[in-house]
Amino acid sequence: MTEAPTPAPPPLPEAGTDAAPVNFVERYGLLQRSGGVATALITASLAFLIGGLVVLATGHNPLSAYREIFNGTGLNWLFPWVNGTDRTFAAMNLQQTLLKATPLMLTGLAVAFAFRCGMFNIGGQGQYTVGTIVGVWVGSSWAGIPGPAHIVLAIVLASLAGAFFAGVAGLLKATVGAHEVISTIMLNWVAFYVGSYAFGLGGPLQNSTNVSVPISNDIATNAHLYVFWGDPILQGLHIGFFIAIGALVAYWVVLNRTTLGYEVRAVGFNAEAARYGGINVARSYVTAMAISGLFAGLAGAIDILGWQFRVGQLDVQASNIGFTGIAVALLGRNTAVGVFFSALLFGGLINGTSGRHLSADVFPPQLAGNLTLIIQGLIILFIGADVLVLYLWQRAKRLRAGKTPGAVEVGT
Amino acid sequence: MKKKTRLLSLIALTAIVAVGLLAGAGFAQNAKHARTAATSACLVTDIGGLNDKSFNHLAYVGLQAAQSKLGVTGRVIESKSGSDYIPNLLSCVQGGADITIGVGFLMADAINTVAAKFPDSKFAIIDFPQEFLASKPANTRGILFREQESGYLAGWLAVKELVSQKKPLVLGAVGGLKIPPVDHYIAGYIAGAKAANPKAKVLYGYSQNFVDQAKCKELALGQIAQGAQVEFAVAGQCGLGALDAAKEKGGWGIGVDADQLFLGSHMLTSAIKKVDVGVFRTIKQVKGGTFKGYGNTTFSVRAGGAGIGAISPKVPKDIVAGEKLLEKKIKNGSIKSIPTTVP
Repeated sequence: MTEAPTPAPPPLPEAGTDAAPVNFVERYGLLQRSGGVATALITASLAFLIGGLVVLATGHNPLSAYREIFNGTGLNWLFPWVNGTDRTFAAMNLQQTLLKATPLMLTGLAVAFAFRCGMFNIGGQGQYTVGTIVGVWVGSSWAGIPGPAHIVLAIVLASLAGAFFAGVAGLLKATVGAHEVISTIMLNWVAFYVGSYAFGLGGPLQNSTNVSVPISNDIATNAHLYVFWGDPILQGLHIGFFIAIGALVAYWVVLNRTTLGYEVRAVGFNAEAARYGGINVARSYVTAMAISGLFAGLAGAIDILGWQFRVGQLDVQASNIGFTGIAVALLGRNTAVGVFFSALLFGGLINGTSGRHLSADVFPPQLAGNLTLIIQGLIILFIGADVLVLYLWQRAKRLRAGKTPGAVEVGT
Repeated sequence: MKKKTRLLSLIALTAIVAVGLLAGAGFAQNAKHARTAATSACLVTDIGGLNDKSFNHLAYVGLQAAQSKLGVTGRVIESKSGSDYIPNLLSCVQGGADITIGVGFLMADAINTVAAKFPDSKFAIIDFPQEFLASKPANTRGILFREQESGYLAGWLAVKELVSQKKPLVLGAVGGLKIPPVDHYIAGYIAGAKAANPKAKVLYGYSQNFVDQAKCKELALGQIAQGAQVEFAVAGQCGLGALDAAKEKGGWGIGVDADQLFLGSHMLTSAIKKVDVGVFRTIKQVKGGTFKGYGNTTFSVRAGGAGIGAISPKVPKDIVAGEKLLEKKIKNGSIKSIPTTVP
């Protein structure tokens, strides 16, 4: 951080190419502003292409596999000629895709916001879990409160809990310089074990009627989020979807239209320059982490109130929504629109590659389960690679502009 | 200008690929959901997945047996997360399955919801008593196992083997989550050990986990440090860590659910529950028209649904013979009321 070679004025996003990037976050931040939407599209297409080759290598037809995956996402609902039972299935699948994309948008934002402040929030999973725990606690207590108030209370408290939990990591960075990557990873485990304890046998939030099952009580019926599409009993799409879209808008507004957002971005561009410019960097770290945690906590709450209604010890342990959020943010280039689309892509992928769509004639069931992981893994791999692609792109640009290649820092 | 053209052509290319995929997808009206005359069975796994080498896998083995021996059509769907349970079950029901089987207690709430919504379809759930389902659906049957009998056999064998080796009679057991099926195994194990020799001592603990092998290994190493000579792993994949600890420290390992003797020469035997038998017989009942909801079917040693797996060739012949005798006694009911709860 101390050897930033740039002179005093904070570097503008477009002009950042001359500064030698110091660490991954800075270098990535630099690159992501120069590639636009094209690299994200190329990344995703490449992953699908290679995924297809993998399918081909196993002796199956990649086109029919992708067709099944596409139908599995429910996107065929958009085709007017799909009707009858197929249409019913398509609608159900699309609901599930959007249901899965909803928390991903929020955990994506949780990573993205910290990223814009120059921090890598690995703790989305822990913050999500904390939101889940508080959501269950509030949702399953005080059954007498009228529905809307109960919902608002649960959502607000869960979000604040997430914010507080992530704020700890921000505070540690701001005061004693503990690296947020380390502290958020450790906090993930704190949340994991608090959740395992709370919902485990004999835990404070464990079911009071089925004492031998490690699962929480159901949340009060009047605290369920309204289901606007599909069957409310059979996991239809709830209004949490719009809450997530609202959060995307809020993200954009806060970042681009407020002093707080300006400060956060300035710190993200160059913390030293921001400090020189009179910005309270320590405070920005704490607020940025807290806001990140707020998004993740909100994701936990709306999953509970929207479709889960109860949570088991194993649900806490097996969940990876916070981690997928990292990929969502990276592919979405930390912008609101990008996070929206990449959350949809990941939601679609997760739902579309589910074993229930890949019929055994196309794929044997054991293989189908792994195909999901292969394609997701490839996308994540290529997101990593797109930093490389961008780097080469930049380099080529500079060469064409007539600069000496020696000026470019090698050693990505 | 040249740069711009290149970028545009790239975008155009991507768009073409995308449109190609979409167009192909539009014609995918297949007859996947068509109803067939043969009995059809549909299995939904929990998040453990088909490759868990344990009960999800065994359930699938049962389904495959039903397909080949009974001529039923079968379908299996893996769940990747909790949000898959209801859609997967729905997919079975709306796909026209005559019986939909959920594997594991994690599926209980989803089965409860879907079974109540479709009273004309048949459901079964493995490892969860039907009367514990919130709405007690009349079209659902619980498939349970007497894990305590398997545990009893394993505990007895372990102590007899230690006696013959003149080693201290201290046994270890590592459970995953403290849930009924796990406790049944451990309670039976303790009872079997005491029956073989009242001086036998059993150390046990729970890793709070079914996946992370390091957790179970740590727990097992702790028990071995306290003198445990045998490690009984009742924790799915996590348990493999406990067996590893036994291998490293020169102790015996006892596998769970499936026959795990193949793991190495340190394996004494496995306490098994034949989820495959449970699934097969349930499907057979549906085919024969004798399936009834509202209640549980409990598979015991006597019914061929529980027992122990292959025994290590290092175990003396007379102990193996004693084991067979013990199994007979459990079958004919002269050993009964094996405890199901851990003290």
